[in-house]
Amino acid sequence: MKILIIEDEKALSDSIVEYLTTEGHLCEAVYDFQKAREKIELYEYDCAIVDINLPDGSGLDIIKKIKEKQISLGIIIISGRGSLENRIEGLEIGADHYLTKPFHLAELNAHLKSINRRINFSGNNEIILNEIKILPDEHRAFVNEIELKLTKKEYDLLLFFISNKNRVITKISLAEYLWGDFMDTADSFDFIYTHIKNLRKKLLKLDCEDYIQTIYGVGYKFDLSIA
Amino acid sequence: MKLLTKTTLNFLSITLFVFLFGIVAFYFLLRGQVDKNVNFELEKRKTSIISQLNSNDPANSIPPNPNERIIIDVLINNDPLPEFTYTDTLIFDDLQKRYIPFRKLGFVANFNNQRIYIQIFKSLEESDFLIVQIFLILTALVIVLIVSLLVMNRITLQHSWKIFNRTIKKISNYDVNTHKQFMLQKSDIKEFNDLNRVIETMTNRINSDYLNLKEYTENASHEIQNPLAIINSKMELLLQSGDLKESDYKAVVDAYEASNRLSRLNKTLILLAKIENRQFPESKDVILSEIINNQLDLLEDLIISKNIIIENSINIGFSVYMNPYLAEILFVNLIKNALRHNVENGNIQIKQVENTISISNTGPKHNMNSDELFQRFHKSSNSSESLGLGLPIVKKICEVYNFDVDYEYDEMHYFSIKFDA
Repeated sequence: MKILIIEDEKALSDSIVEYLTTEGHLCEAVYDFQKAREKIELYEYDCAIVDINLPDGSGLDIIKKIKEKQISLGIIIISGRGSLENRIEGLEIGADHYLTKPFHLAELNAHLKSINRRINFSGNNEIILNEIKILPDEHRAFVNEIELKLTKKEYDLLLFFISNKNRVITKISLAEYLWGDFMDTADSFDFIYTHIKNLRKKLLKLDCEDYIQTIYGVGYKFDLSIA
Repeated sequence: MKLLTKTTLNFLSITLFVFLFGIVAFYFLLRGQVDKNVNFELEKRKTSIISQLNSNDPANSIPPNPNERIIIDVLINNDPLPEFTYTDTLIFDDLQKRYIPFRKLGFVANFNNQRIYIQIFKSLEESDFLIVQIFLILTALVIVLIVSLLVMNRITLQHSWKIFNRTIKKISNYDVNTHKQFMLQKSDIKEFNDLNRVIETMTNRINSDYLNLKEYTENASHEIQNPLAIINSKMELLLQSGDLKESDYKAVVDAYEASNRLSRLNKTLILLAKIENRQFPESKDVILSEIINNQLDLLEDLIISKNIIIENSINIGFSVYMNPYLAEILFVNLIKNALRHNVENGNIQIKQVENTISISNTGPKHNMNSDELFQRFHKSSNSSESLGLGLPIVKKICEVYNFDVDYEYDEMHYFSIKFDA
């Protein structure tokens, strides 16, 4: 995907670019409002990651501009302001997701993947990863063409793992992806452990490779290289 | 006591005091003056009687006067000489059948080589009547004067105080969060205008301070989130690079988790500040049973992991007028608290009695009282990961809406919130 990153914090922007480039995306970064406007006038992108607070303007205005030109373009807002009104305002003018800083790169990546699916396979898309097949629109998963019976959390976990395959995924990013802000981390780590244990059990039962690796003290990795 | 009542009472007591003393003094002055006049007339009469006696001219006889009587006694030699005096006396009037006050002058004169004692009586009836008349008129005048002064005072003051009372009402309804221009009514009283001016300057200053503070909190939150976002993203990238030593991994993860906690703490403190600043003004009727059921669904994992039995007997449809987001925060914190400090296989009871909803849970006894529990960063030792801000948030929300929140221990930990009807 061709992604435009509009974020005035250069260090943060660099991190995003680095993470997404290794995912195979083509990233372009701009650091202010004017440059962002020039870019969207001149080029076409699949997705834009927009910070609301820019030194010389509001990210919201850029989103409006983008939507005038190219309605299907995916938009993820990243902002330090996380109040309900801010979120509603952002989503109302057409953003797909609203991430509050600080966010996890893995979470950003997962949202990008879902935008990618929306844009590129409108409707009949499927994700195939070796013996695993996922139909994201129907929230269904298969192993060797046999349907996996997953709970909602287990399904979300699997999708998150697949979106961030071969990556180290920290427990915190998993927890915030599944429960948002409102669960305390200490509690959620136990639940993540339980959900992953169940998911793994279900996968192994259908003769799936044991892709989910535990990295002690850090988190997990959906490692395809072991197959 | 109202200021008006106080001034009226002071005014009344002083005027009554002055009036009573004045009237007594006035009576005596008037009496003295009248007596002096009568004395003078009696004296004149005496002179004319003496000259009559001396001329012994019957043509020059004393003209009769209905207000006057004269008694003449012949004095025997050895009688003691009566003194020359003015005295007041009462004489029975045969015509009117009553006693009438008279003033008497008694003196001794010589007539035909005889010594006679002459007493002249002059009626005081008319002058007494005059004194009473003057008295009554004066009293009536003074009373009318006092009453009209009081009435006028009351009317003017009430009119002036009306503006003052409006000012008071406006101040008590003042809410820095409404962002309305604070204007007070102009008065024709200088002091009230001064007061209004001072209050207006004060509220303007409060408003601008408040806006500054609000802006500061918002900016601070944004500014803190940025470096935190950078720290987090860099650490995530570090964790992706495969060439870290085991010990480095541990260090990075610890730092990563700490910065995550910092950002949660920051977000929670901002939330608390926003509740304190009453920045959640949009209220509507929130159906609490729905909110509670939603929160229980979201906390399902926590409930299942401890195998806790929930007894929920909230009336369906019980609604409270408040901000829906704050209602969610209120109950998620209460329920989370009841879950966290619970025991394995424990239970939670959510009950409603009239306007009071109580959430009680099993759990080990502790020695904290209600005040300590609702303090910020007051944590029980067994859950070091919690921020210690859940219950303070509950308390803050209840303060904003004037709900009574209470904690008791009676075999179960018992939190109750009384919602205003």
